[in-house]
Amino acid sequence: MYKQYIGADGTLARAIVRLLDNACIPFASDNTDYQTFKKEVLAGAELQDADGNVMTQEQANQFIASLP
Amino acid sequence: MTTIINGSSPSITFSDGSAQTSATRPFLNRIINGAMAIDQRNAGASVTATGSPFSVDRWQTIVSQASKFTIQQNAGAVTPPVGFTNYVGVTSSSAYSVLTGDYFILNQTVEGFNIADLGWGTANAKTITISFWVRSSLTGTFGLALSNQDWNYSYPASYTISVANTWEYKTVTIAGPTAGTWNTNNNGGVRVQFGLGVGSTYNGTAGSWAAAQYLGTTGATSVVGTNGATFYITGVQLEVGSTATSFDYRPYGTEFDLCRRYYEQWDYNNGTGINNYMGAGVGMGYASNDVRTTLQYYPKRTSATLSFSGTFRFGNGGYNLNISSFLFDQAGSNTVLIYNNSTSGFTQGQAYQITAQAASKITISAEL
Repeated sequence: MYKQYIGADGTLARAIVRLLDNACIPFASDNTDYQTFKKEVLAGAELQDADGNVMTQEQANQFIASLP
Repeated sequence: MTTIINGSSPSITFSDGSAQTSATRPFLNRIINGAMAIDQRNAGASVTATGSPFSVDRWQTIVSQASKFTIQQNAGAVTPPVGFTNYVGVTSSSAYSVLTGDYFILNQTVEGFNIADLGWGTANAKTITISFWVRSSLTGTFGLALSNQDWNYSYPASYTISVANTWEYKTVTIAGPTAGTWNTNNNGGVRVQFGLGVGSTYNGTAGSWAAAQYLGTTGATSVVGTNGATFYITGVQLEVGSTATSFDYRPYGTEFDLCRRYYEQWDYNNGTGINNYMGAGVGMGYASNDVRTTLQYYPKRTSATLSFSGTFRFGNGGYNLNISSFLFDQAGSNTVLIYNNSTSGFTQGQAYQITAQAASKITISAEL
């Protein structure tokens, strides 16, 4: 499961929290955790917005499509 | 004094006739932590292979089923081969019959930058030799495989363990692939995978390259198939050429830094990272409910994944505030902003000494 969060500047962080271990994964294409995050969410893993609301698969897919 | 450097071999002949027959070859061994000496994550503790955890640094178990074996630095406390002080050991947890699509492997992915000179995927692909010491309670044919990062081009190879519970030295020479896509950048270059039990889907015939995801060899012994079976390995070396040379010992500090390009952790007073004063040891009140600090770490191959566990104490004279939840923002390859914007009690502009409390830990990962 993954969760968006608010960054230090008050906007959505360019990173995602992996709830398994609360690791912050940056949106960096060479980061293998980031690659895994995208694969898992597209395969149906739960993604929450910054308020903790679970995204629908369509919303999650759209979010993934917007990432680098 | 004059010297003669022999053109085709790495040797130097001095004017008095003496020769240095084995010249130093920087970064001869492309494997990092091949002597299994560095274990930042586990400090020698046993790990159950669930969710493909790392054992000693740079060595990852990749498994399709949970809890079929444990892995530990110096498992079983046997005497390592002469010249080594550590090994990594797998112990089977059951007598598991491997299914067609199963895989249990011990993997190190070598970064593309570190194989860029091999010319793999071209007509000039260089031959490499893998050598290692291995010991198992089982005998027979075992498998290993090389693969590119995307697991779509691979080479299964086999080796034989002849005597149970005895260290044996093995070498495997492999002509470089003239096809396939092999990264030469900061992504995965080549995967070196030792099979511990691989189903038929991922087994290939030993001795040739194929455009397939092979993780082992047909007919190889399954370590996870025998309850209590052991598989110990150390001295893993991957070098250019068709001859295995002696293990390329690097200074411990050099090897540790090579590992830290991919992973490091800062523990409470564990002696490998920091003591109980974290980083620069100073945070700043950014607002009454927001405290921040920056962390600089060993340069990683890419922007790092960071996690925090435990508690940090922010102190300012007689005032102390414990915080056990932090977020990381704008992580780069060697620096990140740490902040907590949900705890009240800070004064804007005030500096705070940061003290890590027992069992606190920050992990910084850019593994392949």
